[in-house]
Amino acid sequence: MSRFRRGHVVARSCLFVALLLAAALLMPSEAYALTTNKATARPNENGGSNVIGGLATRLTWEGTVEDGESVSSVTLVLPEGGTFAGSSTKITALDGLDRAAVDGFATANDNQLVVVFSQPVDEGLLIRLEVEGMAFPSEGGDVVVSGTYENASGTQQLADSKPISTIANTSLQMLVATLDEMEAVQAWNSNPFLGMFFKPQLLVTAFSSLLPGWLLCLVIVVVAYPFAIALGLVFAFMKISRHRLVRAIAIVYINVLRGTPLFLQIYIMFFGLPMMNVNIDNNVLGVIVIAINASAYLAEIFRAGIQSIPQGQYEAASSLGMSYFQTMFNIILPQTIRRVIPTVTSDFITSYKDTSLLSSVGVMELMMFAKNLTSVSGNMTPYVAAAIFYLIVTLPLIKVVTYIENRMAHAERGGGPRPKAGERSAVEEAASDDLAAAELSTHFEGLGEGQLAPVPVFARMAQEV
Amino acid sequence: MSSHNITLDRRSFLAASASVLGMALAACGGSGSSDAAPAEEVAAGEAIEYTLVTDGKLIVASDLDFPPLDSFEGGVAQGFDVDLSNEIASRLGLECEYLPPMDFDSIIPMIKQGGKADIGNSAFSITEERKLEIDFTDAYLDSNLGVAVKKGLGVVGDEAAIVNALNAPDMTVAVQAGTTGADWAAENLPNATIVPLASVTVCMTGVSTGQYQAFCADLPVISHQCTVSFTDCEIALEIPTGEQYGIVVSKDNPGLTAAINQALADMEADGTMAELKEKWFGANE
Repeated sequence: MSRFRRGHVVARSCLFVALLLAAALLMPSEAYALTTNKATARPNENGGSNVIGGLATRLTWEGTVEDGESVSSVTLVLPEGGTFAGSSTKITALDGLDRAAVDGFATANDNQLVVVFSQPVDEGLLIRLEVEGMAFPSEGGDVVVSGTYENASGTQQLADSKPISTIANTSLQMLVATLDEMEAVQAWNSNPFLGMFFKPQLLVTAFSSLLPGWLLCLVIVVVAYPFAIALGLVFAFMKISRHRLVRAIAIVYINVLRGTPLFLQIYIMFFGLPMMNVNIDNNVLGVIVIAINASAYLAEIFRAGIQSIPQGQYEAASSLGMSYFQTMFNIILPQTIRRVIPTVTSDFITSYKDTSLLSSVGVMELMMFAKNLTSVSGNMTPYVAAAIFYLIVTLPLIKVVTYIENRMAHAERGGGPRPKAGERSAVEEAASDDLAAAELSTHFEGLGEGQLAPVPVFARMAQEV
Repeated sequence: MSSHNITLDRRSFLAASASVLGMALAACGGSGSSDAAPAEEVAAGEAIEYTLVTDGKLIVASDLDFPPLDSFEGGVAQGFDVDLSNEIASRLGLECEYLPPMDFDSIIPMIKQGGKADIGNSAFSITEERKLEIDFTDAYLDSNLGVAVKKGLGVVGDEAAIVNALNAPDMTVAVQAGTTGADWAAENLPNATIVPLASVTVCMTGVSTGQYQAFCADLPVISHQCTVSFTDCEIALEIPTGEQYGIVVSKDNPGLTAAINQALADMEADGTMAELKEKWFGANE
C-alpha cells in the first residue's frame, strides 16, 4: 500500500519536473522569430568520422521562421579562428517537404556569413543553409554557431546552436597535408592509374583507419578455426562411419555447404536467423558462419587424410589386439594430422580471405572499412591497402605451407641422404619408401610390454608392400 | 635448384605484371583525351555538338535498385528515371540503352572515366562534392531524405527527439554507400554505427529483420519500400533537405549536358514532365 502511494508521489513530482523543464525549453524559443533548429558539420577527417578544425568542411544550419514573422537576412557567426572565407552557400527554403521559391546571396566575411534573401522569407518556412568550404577554429573543441537575423523590427540575436564537436588536426592529417604539398606526390597522382590505386595520402590514412577491421578479421578467423577443426573431425568420422544414417547426415552436411556459395550461407544466416527470432551479435554470427563453412571443407580434408593411410596398418594394429579407437587415436590420426597440415593451412588462408564476404551484411571487418573509405573518397587506394593487410597474414602462411610440404616430401623420401640404389636391399627400399611403415614402427616403440614385438609386424608389412 | 626456379618465376611474373600495368596506364591515359571532342559554344537555334560512346545511342548507367525511380523488374529497366531517359533520348533522336545494374557508388567514377556510358541517371542528388567530379544537368525532381525503422521500434517525437534517439552507440544505421543519406547519417548520427551497404534491398531486409535499427535514404524510395515491399517497416522521420535530382554527365561532354537541359526544359514546358510525375508519384507530387 505505502509503496504504491510513494510511487504515486514520485510519478507526480516527475511530471512536475518535466513540466518545468518543458516550460523552460519553450520560454526562450518564443522570443525568436527565427528558431535555430540545428547546426551540423560534415566529417572531414580523411578516413575517419571526426570534424577537424582548420580544414575545409560543410556546415549545415537550419532554422524555422515562426508564425507571423518574416526574415530578410541571416548572419551566422563562428567563434574566433573559424572562417567562412572562400565558402559557397546553398540556400534552400522548405515548406514542409516542398521547396519554396526563395533566393538570396551570401557574403563571407572572415568568421561571419551574411545571407540576404531577395525577398523576406515567410512564416512557417524552414531555412536551410549549406556552407561548403568553411573551416572551424583549428584548435578544435565544441563549436557553437551563433549569429543574428533581421526581421521587420530590426536586427535580433539568433539562439546559439547546439555545440558541434570538432577536434584539432591530428599528426596523421598533418602528414597527409605534407604529402599533398610534395611535388613528387602530385606528379605521382597526376597519372590516372597511380593516382586511382596508389595515392600516397590515402594509403597513409587507409592503414590507420583499416586497422580495426583487420584485427576483427583476424579475431573472427582465429576464433572460428578451432571450432571448424573440431566440427570437421566429427563430420569426417561420421562420413566414414559404418552406419548408413550417420553417413548420410555427414554427406548432406558436407555437400550442401561445399556446394553453395559462402555468400549465400552468410545471407541465410544473417537474415534468416533473426526472422526465426534468433538474435545473435553480428560478430559472433560471423564466427559461426565461417566455422561452419570451413568445417565442411576440413571434414573432406580429414576424411581424405584418414583414408590415405594404408589398410595394412589397420590390419597390423588389429593383429596387435588394438580396438578401433585405439587404432584411430594412436596409429592413424597422428599420421593423418601430419599429412593434412599443408592442406589445412591453405584452407585457413581461404577462410581468412572469406571473412571479406561478411562486409556485405555489415560486419565491420577489413573490406567494410575499405569500401567505406572508397565510397567517401571515390578512390580505389583503400582496396590496395586492404590487399596489403590480407597479404601480411597470407604470405607468411603460404611460406609455412611450402616449408612443411618440403619437409614432408623430404621425410617421404626417407629423411636423409639417399644411399646409392645398388647398396639397398629390397626390404629396406620398400620400407623407407612407405612413410606409413616408418611411422608405424616409431609408434610401436612406445607400446608397453605384453604386446607383440614390433619387428615381426614390421617385417610382415614390408613383405606385403 | 628448386629455389632458383622460384626466383625466376617471380621475376617473370613481375615482368608480366609490369607490362599489364603499362597497358592499363596507356588505356587510362587515352580514354580521357580521345573521347573528348572540342566543346562548341551553345548558341540559340544552333545544333548542340556532343560526343557519344556509340553513335545513335544514349547509354545510361544506373543501379536500377531504387524504386519507384529505378528498378529492374523481369530484366527490364523501369521507373521514373527510366521513362525520363527514354524521353530525353527520343527528343535527341537517339536510342536509349540501359547498362546492366551496377553499384550506385561506382556510377560517378565510371562516367568520369568515360568510354562506357554517356549519362548516369540514378536519382543523383545534386551536391557540390559530386560537382567536383562530374557535371550535372538542371534539376528534374525535388526530393528529401527519410529514415525507415521497423514498426514498434519506439522512436517517436519531433525531428530532434528522433535524431537524438538514433544517435546512440547501440544504434546501427544502414545506408547505401555513396548516397546523400549516408552523408546525412555520418553528419547527424556521429554516435551510431553507420553501415554502408550496396543495395536498398539489403538495407531494408536488415531493418526488417532487426539487424539494423534504421535505414536512411531518399524519402520517395523509403516510402515505396515501406508501403510495397517491407510492410513491417515504417517511416520514422521525414527530413526536409530540399535536395534535387540531376543527371550525371562527364565534364568532357558539356554539349550533352546542354542538350539534355534543353530537352528537360521542353518537357517541363509541354507538360510531359508533369505527366511522368503523375504516373510514378501520383497527383500530389
